[in-house]
Amino acid sequence: MDTRPLAAPQAPAASLRNTMRFEGSAGEYFKIWIVNIALTIVTLGIFSAWAKVRSKRYFYGNTYIGTNAFDYHAAPLRILLGRAIAFGFLLAYSLTAAISPKLIGLWYLLFLAALPWLIKSSLRFAARNTSYRNVRFDFHGSYWGACKAFILWQMLAVVTLLSLLPFAHRARDYYHINNNRYGQTAFQAEIPVGKLYKYYGLALLAILGALAVIVGLTGGTMNIFKPADGLVIAARIVAVIFGAVAFWGAPAYLGALTFNLALNNTRLGENVTFESHLSPVRMTWIVFSNILLTMISLGLLYPWARVRRARYMAECMTVVSPADAGDFQSMPMPAGNTIGEEVASFFDIDFGL
Amino acid sequence: MPLPGFYFPPGSARQTEAELYLTADGKYLEVRDGGGTLLASAPRRQVTVTSRLGNLRRKVAYPDGALFETADNDGIDALLTGHNGALARLERSWRLAALSLLAIAACTALFILYGVPRSAEWLARETPPSASRVIADQTLKAMEGKFLLPTGLPLARQQRIRDRFARVAGWEASGHGYDLLLRNAPHVGPNAFALPDGRIVVTDQLVLMAKSDTELDGVLAHEMAHVNHSHGLRSVYQASLIPAAIAFITGDASQFAQMTVILPAILVQSAYSRKFEQQADDDAAILLRRQGEDPAALAGFLERMELKTCGKTGCGPSWLGSHPATSARAARLRRAPAQ
Ligand SMILES: [Zn+2]
Repeated sequence: MDTRPLAAPQAPAASLRNTMRFEGSAGEYFKIWIVNIALTIVTLGIFSAWAKVRSKRYFYGNTYIGTNAFDYHAAPLRILLGRAIAFGFLLAYSLTAAISPKLIGLWYLLFLAALPWLIKSSLRFAARNTSYRNVRFDFHGSYWGACKAFILWQMLAVVTLLSLLPFAHRARDYYHINNNRYGQTAFQAEIPVGKLYKYYGLALLAILGALAVIVGLTGGTMNIFKPADGLVIAARIVAVIFGAVAFWGAPAYLGALTFNLALNNTRLGENVTFESHLSPVRMTWIVFSNILLTMISLGLLYPWARVRRARYMAECMTVVSPADAGDFQSMPMPAGNTIGEEVASFFDIDFGL
Repeated sequence: MPLPGFYFPPGSARQTEAELYLTADGKYLEVRDGGGTLLASAPRRQVTVTSRLGNLRRKVAYPDGALFETADNDGIDALLTGHNGALARLERSWRLAALSLLAIAACTALFILYGVPRSAEWLARETPPSASRVIADQTLKAMEGKFLLPTGLPLARQQRIRDRFARVAGWEASGHGYDLLLRNAPHVGPNAFALPDGRIVVTDQLVLMAKSDTELDGVLAHEMAHVNHSHGLRSVYQASLIPAAIAFITGDASQFAQMTVILPAILVQSAYSRKFEQQADDDAAILLRRQGEDPAALAGFLERMELKTCGKTGCGPSWLGSHPATSARAARLRRAPAQ
């Protein structure tokens, strides 16, 4: 008997797999970075807004999917204005702190009320100033949505002794992803919360384990004023290193896992999907060694560290689309952004994705 | 000369190969496909071209939302003079990068050596006494009850110290008002510190450690010198100027930036603080000598304090600490010339 099918089953429309690439180089970026800092100092800080835009443009413009790269469009003058306003707020806050600390509580209240707005605005600013192939991204999240995702869910997680933390994490990711659009096409994420529970559980175990080791090594005392012999000092040093790795490493590790999870469960429109396979170990190593080497080199390796991270992250991400991305259309966009978005961007709240 | 690249219709991600032309009269920028069909055209002035940056593709944006992009950076600079990007040329030169590095290092050094201390000094001078009072109140309030308890010294001893305090305060003709606060501080141990408004806190533990009145005089003169030079206020300003400058220059308030500068920032802060301590020691030595007392008493007292708090090995490396090494302080005090 011939078991071969008579005709090949209906093949799905040929899909394109495009792994992202970062094509910038550390040497090239170093020169751009250092010259821009010098110009910023010469202009007493005014040029910093232009420097920031050039930096962003360099990273966006060297991140390729297929034949095309992203583009960053923010106007330096508006960033400068936003910064001036944000700086004024910081100054007012510090003055309050120095003169009548009783009123500090009022500032915290004000900040809490403004936080959802800041988050919403900075996400919108980032999205609207990003484009790929002549089509801009957009963000439609609301104040109330940010309030729920970033304040109410977090409070609920704290009240329930962190047992709802994965749900809070998912609420943040949903707010971020599901309100984002590429042109007229919406992103849609559906994240299995069970996986998040597993990852958070692992991170918790790692931190608890590290705590146990630290307490074991130091006997629970960390009094640096007490005279101590060599062995005790060595044990303390090991404990401190261990603690640093656990407390900074666990979040980095967790960050890579949850990043993969979110991206692997995100669609753009009906047909475009994403794949991310960041290695948590490697990502943690990159974050750590970047901080360490930047510190040791007095900042000189900062450009190299940024390029290295961008290159690795790009390598790990793939976009799967049915065919060419040419079908995407942009939204008719209201002209001009509000000042609020630039103010928010000063605080540079980074949401990871 | 036409430039090869890609054309995107208004608001669309669909790309087609195309070429960019400048019309013969130099007034219009046109995009045509391989067959010569006109895809986009607009007066040159209404078209925006992105500035050159590294090897990034250049984008030519038409007012109607159409876009042309090309990787030929030199080609577009030749076609549209005036878009040659002086900044990009600066950013390509290794020699200029090295020069920038030197300039930044020099500016940073000047800023740390002169900029921060001088502006903090100026700010401290311009701070109204009422503000100093508020800051001092806040500092005290934060410590009172937790670290600072009411003094347990006998009344006679308290009076004796107050008399010494008034005497030492009288030596100094700076016109500053001082006030003495005696506090029991079992968790802090032997210590004394000056608040910005002239109040000086001395712990019972320090009083009990002093073997002679001259030793106490030395400590009081040292703290009064801190008040005279507004060291307290100046260090508050110095501590906030560096992070503010970093945030302003780099525009980067991210965790990564903060973490990488945390260590140098701490080192610079403690260097400033050591300088203040030295100044206070020097002033105290001059004052003591002028009254016919020997600064060596203060030196001996400092050595006893270190022995008590840190044992024979000393209190750790001096380049990390807020105070210079005790041995160096003691030697300097003993050498202090009579004036
Ligand atoms: Zn002192």
